[in-house]
Amino acid sequence: MSESARANVVELRGVSKEYMRDKTPVPVLKDTDLDIPQGDFAAVMGPSGSGKSTLLNLVAGLDRATTGTVTVAGEELGAMSEAQLTRFRSHHLGFIFQLYNLMPVLTAFENVELPLLLTSLSRRERADHVRTALKIVGLQERHDHFPRQLSGGQEQRVAIARALVNDPVLLLADEPTGNLDSTAAHEIMDLLQQLNEDFDKTIVMVTHDPRAARRARRMLHLEKGTFVETEVDELETRR
Amino acid sequence: MKFLPYILRNVMRNKLRAAFTGMSIAVSLFLVTVLYAYLNVQDEQGEKSKKFARIVVTAKQGLTFPVPIAHVDKVRAMPGVKAAVPLSWFGGKYKDEKIPFGQFATDPKQIMEVLAEYKVAAGSLEKFQSDRGGCMVGSRAAEQRGWKVGDNIVLKGDIYPVTLELTIDGIFDSDESSDQLESLWYHFAYMDELLKKERSQSAGNAGTIFVKADSPEKLDDLMREINLKFANTDRPVRAVTEQAFRQMFTEMLGNVQSYIRNVALAVVISLMLVAGNAMAMSMRERTREVAVLKAIGFTRFIVLSLVLVEAILIAVAGGAIGVLGAKTLFAMRDVVFRGIPGIAGFYVPWSTVIFGMALAAMIGLFSGIIPAWRAAQVSVVDGLRKVV
Repeated sequence: MSESARANVVELRGVSKEYMRDKTPVPVLKDTDLDIPQGDFAAVMGPSGSGKSTLLNLVAGLDRATTGTVTVAGEELGAMSEAQLTRFRSHHLGFIFQLYNLMPVLTAFENVELPLLLTSLSRRERADHVRTALKIVGLQERHDHFPRQLSGGQEQRVAIARALVNDPVLLLADEPTGNLDSTAAHEIMDLLQQLNEDFDKTIVMVTHDPRAARRARRMLHLEKGTFVETEVDELETRR
Repeated sequence: MKFLPYILRNVMRNKLRAAFTGMSIAVSLFLVTVLYAYLNVQDEQGEKSKKFARIVVTAKQGLTFPVPIAHVDKVRAMPGVKAAVPLSWFGGKYKDEKIPFGQFATDPKQIMEVLAEYKVAAGSLEKFQSDRGGCMVGSRAAEQRGWKVGDNIVLKGDIYPVTLELTIDGIFDSDESSDQLESLWYHFAYMDELLKKERSQSAGNAGTIFVKADSPEKLDDLMREINLKFANTDRPVRAVTEQAFRQMFTEMLGNVQSYIRNVALAVVISLMLVAGNAMAMSMRERTREVAVLKAIGFTRFIVLSLVLVEAILIAVAGGAIGVLGAKTLFAMRDVVFRGIPGIAGFYVPWSTVIFGMALAAMIGLFSGIIPAWRAAQVSVVDGLRKVV
């Protein structure tokens, strides 16, 4: 199936976002349109202050657009209450952070299990899901390790397993390699690419790293709150 | 329940802080439990005393005024009275003891009819009854001082200008009550004789009269009749149940209940502030983690609940140490407080334990409200920006 024929997981229409600074509105995103179809892997790049994180926050339902509509998985986020947005995130989104943000008091297994505590799955079903997610990221042997006992790359793998475990329609990654050395960064990008290609996961990744961005299906450049899209050559450039 | 492992891990996240918070609650609730136990023991013993069907007669003016000894026989003669004895506090000094123990002048012929819950070895009572300078001592009083039957005791009067020289004729014990187990009974006649020799105005008077009624049902009528009988004399009396007498005796110490409740309230408020501060510090350190929880779908209500349960668990753990510690310590009072007078009848009732644990949970709840509310309000975007 061609990308153009696939349904959009993310749709932004005329989205603007302004923040108030000392009673003065500061525009961050300006009248932005964006389509992310199912199975896409989009890297969002741009200088600091270009609106990358704001874009990610809007798509995640963590922030609200000043104008325009943000639709994710067919749901318009602007129409939802805070509680509905929270539930929406738990069902449809997976988050990968630059600093991994694992719970230091929980083991790898328990960290991955965390989103499943919000579901009605039984203990055994949760354990099955967690084992599967840890297997995908190659850390099934480290399930009982605490974050402090893992390397940065391993921590990020656990974070990816946590993001995957409830089988979300969209993975949002905020600088996933920003805190890793080049080897670990490469491995993480391999993993994200595998998730995109083998598991058909739609990924939106914000990054400063051009090497990481080249692993995406396409690069989107944000400058002063406006998109400049750059397509990436398939596969050859990505590997 | 599925969140419990996560909550427990957070409780133990900073072990030193959790230990200090828990121990501050433990120590304070130990104190509150002991204070409240004192009140509850008074109430419970008062309740228990109902079945003994006893009335205490004091002078109408109050406990510090005497009752003529002649009143005892008049009361005994009243219908519905099974037995009656004087019970007069002597308050003499024994050796170097600074606080006098219970030494009561009484009638040896009827004392064990009135205080029938106490038992004594065969022959001891008869020996006591026939020995004008004899006495009987409670098992704990004997144990604390190493007394045995046949020992001589000298009690130097403080309130009364006489010295009692007594011989122990028996040691009494009880499974039903410990009130008198630290006390000593001797002949009223012996003390009265000494007082008369000294021409003391106290001669011919008793402190109180303890009356045993035929049955608990007759207490109200009997009290009314006793009050009426002496109402128009120059020495009117006030007859009350043993339970009311206990209450009256406690109130003589001042408004103890009010003091205890105020102290407890102050302790509880202080604890809420201490525990609340510890919880707030803990949550400030976890702002980023709370933001992550909310990002991955934890609602405000769940975040609020997690923090509250954590605060309650810390407080309840500390409370359990303090409250159950007090319960255990006083359950083993004969070992732990061996030789210390005044502890004999003291224990921590289960009602006080339940009250203490409920108080601990309440401290946890209130100490956790503000930190929990603030955690629930954490903005995901702002929280994720926070580095520490």
